[in-house]
Amino acid sequence: MLLMTASQIRGLPVVTVQGGEDVAEVRDVIYSPEAGRLVGVTLNKRGFLAGRSRDVLPAEAIHAIGQDAVMVLDESSLVTPEDAPEDVGHPATERNVLEDDILTEGGASLGKVADLVLLVGSSGEVVGYQIEKPGGERGYIPLPAQLSVSGVALVVPNMTEEFVQDDLVGLGGAVDEFRTRLGLT
Amino acid sequence: MDAIGWLILVVIVLVVVAVAFVIIRRKRRGGGVIATKDKG
Repeated sequence: MLLMTASQIRGLPVVTVQGGEDVAEVRDVIYSPEAGRLVGVTLNKRGFLAGRSRDVLPAEAIHAIGQDAVMVLDESSLVTPEDAPEDVGHPATERNVLEDDILTEGGASLGKVADLVLLVGSSGEVVGYQIEKPGGERGYIPLPAQLSVSGVALVVPNMTEEFVQDDLVGLGGAVDEFRTRLGLT
Repeated sequence: MDAIGWLILVVIVLVVVAVAFVIIRRKRRGGGVIATKDKG
């Protein structure tokens, strides 16, 4: 099980399996809180000062996400916004969750969202958030398989507070137990 | 202005240009974590 944060994925080169060409770079990571999974990424062009690419990469077209590159079969995996699912082709950039507050259902603040943690490989499952605690230190919280995101605060089950971890390794072990306790698995 | 003065001026200009490049690059590269809207 390889856990990666969204910030580790952002900036990775997009490389074709057939030919090994470096065709783009990951810009935004787009995920569905409802489905609890990655739905796609937007792209930057390659080059030192190159900006946003018009093409996007839906999750279905991703061959693999590794520590050093996002692999696609060939350049045709990159599609125009019109040919991509609506959420990927025209992402709601105002719904950037970084810096959003995290509140438990009981009203306790766990901090702010610093990053998203994904189980990369075939599923692109979202398993948790890296948080910046009110004191400033970093931690990790597991997420239920489905989560509703609306407004500027993310509301998580009360039990999440017991599962705050100091590192990604701890989070990997906590996710299954957390979901079992919630009755989700 | 003597040679040391010119040298300091050149170094300052280079630093300013380098910082400007880094800021412009960061702005152009952008990036974030975007949640999709709930369908249900």
